Amino acid sequence: MRELILAYQRRVAGFAYAITGRSDSVEDLAQMVFVKMARALDRLKAPEQFESWLFRLARNTCIDHLRRQKLRRIFTPFAPEHENVPEPAGAVDSEELDALRHALAQLRPKDRALLSLVQEGRSHAEIAETFHTSVAAVKARLHRAREQLRQHYHSDET
Amino acid sequence: MKPEHEAWASLREHAASLITPGFPDRVLRAARARPSPLFVAHFAMCAATAALCLAAVAIYQSGVSGDDATNQAGWSEIAAQANELDQGQ
Repeated sequence: MRELILAYQRRVAGFAYAITGRSDSVEDLAQMVFVKMARALDRLKAPEQFESWLFRLARNTCIDHLRRQKLRRIFTPFAPEHENVPEPAGAVDSEELDALRHALAQLRPKDRALLSLVQEGRSHAEIAETFHTSVAAVKARLHRAREQLRQHYHSDET
Repeated sequence: MKPEHEAWASLREHAASLITPGFPDRVLRAARARPSPLFVAHFAMCAATAALCLAAVAIYQSGVSGDDATNQAGWSEIAAQANELDQGQ
C-alpha cells in the first residue's frame, strides 16, 4: 500500500491541483483520495483497471470538494475580499503556471479533469473508462475543452 | 501548444512539491482510523432536535388544555348563576 501511495502521490497531487487550482487544498485532497483507495482497494474487481479507478476516485473527490465549497458559500456568504483569496506569496513562481491556472479556472471542473488526464498521457479509451462514457464523447469534450483553454490561456498571456 | 506543455509540467512539479514528507504514513494512519460516523451523528442530532420540539409542544399543549378546563369551569359556573338569577326573577 505504501508503495502504491508513493508511486501515485505526485500524479494525484497534480491532478487535484489542476482541478481545484488551490495549493492549500492539494495535500488534503490527495490524502482523502488515498484514504478512500486504501479502504476500497479490496473491492476492486479488475486490478488492471486500477489507474482508471484511482483517477475516477480522485476526480469525484475533487469535484465533491468544489461542490461542498460552493454550497457552504451559499449558507455562509464571504465578503468580496475573502471570496478569491490569492495564492500565498511564492506559491506560484512562474508566469506560465499562473496563466495556465487562470485559464483552467475559467473551465468547468469536469473539463479540467479531462485535460489533466490527457496531460497524464492517458488514452481516450482509458479516459472514457474513467469517466464512464464513450470514446466519441471524450473526443468531443476534449476538443471543446482544449479550444476554451487555448483561448483563455492566450488571452491571459496578452 | 509548446508553452502550455511547459506550463502543465510546472503545474505538476508545483503540485508534487506541495506533498510534505511522511505523506504515505499519514495516509495509512488515517486509513486505519475508524471512519467518522458522520451520518449517524447527523441522524442523532436530527432525532434529538425533533424529540425536543415534540416535548416542547406537548408541555405547551398540556398547559393550555389545563387553562381551557379552568376557564370552561368558570364560565359554566357563571352561566349556572345567571340561570338561577333568571329563574328567581
